[in-house]
Amino acid sequence: MIVDDGREVVIRVRELAKSFGNHQIWESLSLDVYRGEILAIVGGSGQGKSVLMRVITGLAQPDSGVVTLFGQDSNSLSSEARLDIEKRWGILFQDGALFSSLTVMQNIQVPMREHLDLPQSMMDDLAFLKLSMVGLPPNAAHKFPSELSGGMRKRAGLARALALDPEIVFLDEPTAGLDPIGATEFDHLIRKLQQTLGLTVYMVTHDLDTIFTVCDRVAVLADRRIVRTGSPTELQHKPDHPWIEEYFCGERARAASPAEERRVVG
Amino acid sequence: MLKRDNQFVLQTETEAPGFRVELRGTTFRLVATGAWTVAEAAILDKELKRLKVPIPPSSEFTGEMDISGIAEIDTAGAWLLQRTASAWQRGGLKTRYAGATDSFRILIEEVHRRGKAERPEIDVVPPLQQFLDTFKTSTASIWRDAVELTSFLGEVSAASVNLVREPWRFRPISFIHHLDHAGLRALPIIFLICFLIGAVVMQQGVVQLTHFGAEPMAVNMVAILSLREVGILLTSIMVAGRSGSAFTAEIGSMKMREEIDAMRTLGIDPIDTLVVPRVAALVVALPLLTFMGDIAALVGGGVMAWIMLGLEPPVYVDKLHEIISFHHFFAGMVKAPFAAIVIALVGCLEGLRVQGSAESLGAHVTSAVVKAIFLVICIDGIFAMFLAGIGL
Repeated sequence: MIVDDGREVVIRVRELAKSFGNHQIWESLSLDVYRGEILAIVGGSGQGKSVLMRVITGLAQPDSGVVTLFGQDSNSLSSEARLDIEKRWGILFQDGALFSSLTVMQNIQVPMREHLDLPQSMMDDLAFLKLSMVGLPPNAAHKFPSELSGGMRKRAGLARALALDPEIVFLDEPTAGLDPIGATEFDHLIRKLQQTLGLTVYMVTHDLDTIFTVCDRVAVLADRRIVRTGSPTELQHKPDHPWIEEYFCGERARAASPAEERRVVG
Repeated sequence: MLKRDNQFVLQTETEAPGFRVELRGTTFRLVATGAWTVAEAAILDKELKRLKVPIPPSSEFTGEMDISGIAEIDTAGAWLLQRTASAWQRGGLKTRYAGATDSFRILIEEVHRRGKAERPEIDVVPPLQQFLDTFKTSTASIWRDAVELTSFLGEVSAASVNLVREPWRFRPISFIHHLDHAGLRALPIIFLICFLIGAVVMQQGVVQLTHFGAEPMAVNMVAILSLREVGILLTSIMVAGRSGSAFTAEIGSMKMREEIDAMRTLGIDPIDTLVVPRVAALVVALPLLTFMGDIAALVGGGVMAWIMLGLEPPVYVDKLHEIISFHHFFAGMVKAPFAAIVIALVGCLEGLRVQGSAESLGAHVTSAVVKAIFLVICIDGIFAMFLAGIGL
């Protein structure tokens, strides 16, 4: 376990480099994710926000650099150790990535079936519980993903990500493609679940509203590395970087703040 | 998963997950210890199911879930506790929790609230009913397919007639593109397949006809079979698999991305721009490919005849001259444009029937190939009867 500044670091990324062909996306990227926080990764398009998530979760390989997961170097993990770590996180992909041939309920039960040996009645009960926690009506359980709206698919995807009660959830653009009401509801849901389940949330987002309402900390990807981290208000008041200034002090940001009174508490 | 001390839990030996039930004064207590997490849930569930609900001797007895010994808990653990607590409650024991930290309390309350949701009923269809339903819908869909294909044929014909009147609306670039893709690029595989089948038929023919001492007749068989049936059938089936499916996939993915709708709103007729060039290209390409297929099958047969019968190529060609007359060639060739129209129409129609999802695209590509091959063989049969009837 790595402890830094009195807090446990669950993911530590050091000196990461990655390029696609001639295009170098990061040179020396370093980032810490602390237990129990909601961290947002922001950055312009093509800065490799989603790629960073894929590298951390092992879906993509970096050219060089070290990713430490729960205190273990991800390069030196045996496949069983990696599996154990994968059980400790859940991932919500952009459009939910639900298996189209399974119902919502079966989707939620896939991780339980794969990793645990639970009786069917208990899996059903837990699936309904998760479904209710992400705010889906019980009658969505037996529907197929193609019968759900985009927002419901995201919620169902979140329920699947939460199936094994993970410690970390990764969210890839959780509010993209949702209408403002749906997006706000989703923000509140994330905050609520984070408090109820003691989650660490790592999200890739563009949504300033989300950042100002729910995020504890923001990490900014620019110039091929993480240029700054800090709370949304800190970054807004002291941008120190042209991209951050444009992002946090532009027209849209002014509409999304003032941050203090909008934050969801409890 | 929530830990008792949210920040630091050193991985020391904690107590094994479990529980015991005791009676203290007038309180039945369930003392839970260790990690109540989803990983341990199967064992805990089994143990809890064996536990009998205590029967209170009088109404002053109460129940208590003492969770001060729990090191970690998650929704599965909270749900197990809540299930037990509810069972006790129903048995007449007023049950409360003791020893919960704030974060545990939030989770347990949430699970308690969420656990009460109504469950939807699942309609279970008996297998026989399901079979009958499937049978009904698929029978109905055969009829619907026939109607749609006929009306689509009509639409495309009308569009083609219009093109004769207004030839500038024809899309030559698209036509050439499809001619290249469906025709020229299919040449090697069709040549290879027909060559091999020609050789195989010759080899089998020689082996079987040896019993009658009539092995030179194998050349007659191969020559006539190639021209009348093998060339056109193999070519059509290959083209249906190769180009028919490509048409469905191309048009279907355009349909998925709403490109077809965009075309319509811009006043462009998708039949004119997408369907007619494809049909026209295939009508030109398929007879040419069939011709090449015929040649390949004859060459394949010739090579095998040389090997097995010692028939040298010039002799083989002379024999072909004797055997083949124009009407054999014609009987095969006349089917090609019809097969082309069927393959192209089915491919384009299935493409236009694709719905929004990727699964639907896959399903329609499959059905395009199956239907196209089925219809090509039907056409072949009809022509065989017709040509026999008129004595060709």
